[in-house]
Amino acid sequence: MKIAILGFGAVGKGVAHVIAMKKDYLQEKYGLNLRIVAAADSSGGVIFNEGLDANLLLNTKKEKGKVSDYPGYGVSGLKSLKILEEVDYDCLVEVTPTNIEDGEPALSHLLTAMENGKDVVTSNKGPLALSFRELDDSARFNDVQFRFEASVGGAMPIINFAHENLAGCNIESIYGILNGTTNYILSRMAKEGSSYDQTLKEAQEMGIAETDPYQDVEGIDAACKIAILANSVLNRDVTLKEVEVEGISKITPESIALAKKEGYLIKLIGEASRDVLEVSPRLVRQGSPLAVEGTMNLATLKTDLAEDVSVAGKGAGSVETASAILSDLLNIWRTKK
Amino acid sequence: MRLNLVLELIDVPGQLLDALKPMGKLGANIVAVIHQRDVKTERGTIPVQITIEGDKETLDRVMESIEESGIQLVSVDGVLRKEQIITILVGNIVGEDVQDTLARLNHLEGVRVADLDLKMSDPPENSATKIIIEADYGQKKKILKKIKEIGNQKGLLVINEV
Repeated sequence: MKIAILGFGAVGKGVAHVIAMKKDYLQEKYGLNLRIVAAADSSGGVIFNEGLDANLLLNTKKEKGKVSDYPGYGVSGLKSLKILEEVDYDCLVEVTPTNIEDGEPALSHLLTAMENGKDVVTSNKGPLALSFRELDDSARFNDVQFRFEASVGGAMPIINFAHENLAGCNIESIYGILNGTTNYILSRMAKEGSSYDQTLKEAQEMGIAETDPYQDVEGIDAACKIAILANSVLNRDVTLKEVEVEGISKITPESIALAKKEGYLIKLIGEASRDVLEVSPRLVRQGSPLAVEGTMNLATLKTDLAEDVSVAGKGAGSVETASAILSDLLNIWRTKK
Repeated sequence: MRLNLVLELIDVPGQLLDALKPMGKLGANIVAVIHQRDVKTERGTIPVQITIEGDKETLDRVMESIEESGIQLVSVDGVLRKEQIITILVGNIVGEDVQDTLARLNHLEGVRVADLDLKMSDPPENSATKIIIEADYGQKKKILKKIKEIGNQKGLLVINEV
């Protein structure tokens, strides 16, 4: 399967890494040869129809900071949409940085690929949280595969889990801890009794929180994911704007202590159901499935037949998130065979 | 002695029988049963009105068995059962008039503020308050929504249970 990777940050690199690591395994077990025919980042791109060397690509990025420095075939300033026009590929892997204002350039990448009859796999929350219906409609119209397991919960299976493993169930609502940064901060505050500001600083020093933590701590990241889940799993038609969002920046050690006294933890919970779309700090019973610690993500789906089903896993990480991309690629491969 | 009970049954075959059998077995007389399978509550459950007759001990035993069975008891002789709701408010609750906040909560239908625990902090904007409310059975969702409204109006962060 020929893939074009647009975006070569943490997730893009993770994808290249995973492809290199699993090359033999994929060939032996699935008869799948993932050929990276193009890769691009903000510097430009590189096209090579016979397949780029994943390790060389990674090293180039590591040493030169740009994929356009790939020896022999890198082109500085090469535009991503041009790559999609010129390259002969089967599936687009769209892993450019998330833009929650308008979802670009990812939205254009995905639509262009689909209109050209290509399958798409993405981890990019932006276009999914803002223009889900448009993308879904385009995929159906163009009869292509549209997969985005990596966009919610990182390595934790949730999208495919709901559609495939719980097929036949009516999913009534979803509750989840969908942001590792905030879950880590709240867990630490509960354990240490420390203040929010202090704990955030620590998290930033450890690389668990970004330098600009706004999207995480104000619940926007989780809100994107809830919108995606509502659209995909609950068949609603919503965008990020319809989600009621409240972050964790107002949580105090006193409130956590009061909750603890009653046997509760405070967690940032995303909730989606037929009439609720919300991300907010909530009281969670100690010992209940939602009481996970650290950077873990967790989702509980309330169904009619299977009642409550929960999944947990690593919500972020380069290789972890790439594992979800690989899972989607394999799904496409097996569907098309 | 007679008791008028309202139970809530899940829409699954055999539920009504499971509810009535123990009553008869314990010696209570089943005087009336009103069961309309087409009428469903917002929770998707089916309300059943059952009037039972017996002496006090028998009726007490029937009430116990209902508690143990896990079948939802909604009201006894028109008195709605209570459920507990816990919420934590963060912010300058004292500055935003605690009395008014409590009054507005108590004013909600079927609500009684049962417990309040206030942790003052310096600055007062970081104060936290735990409030435990006893509410009529089945009203939880509505009440949690109202608590959020009251909190939002006062600029307080409302942390409701899941």
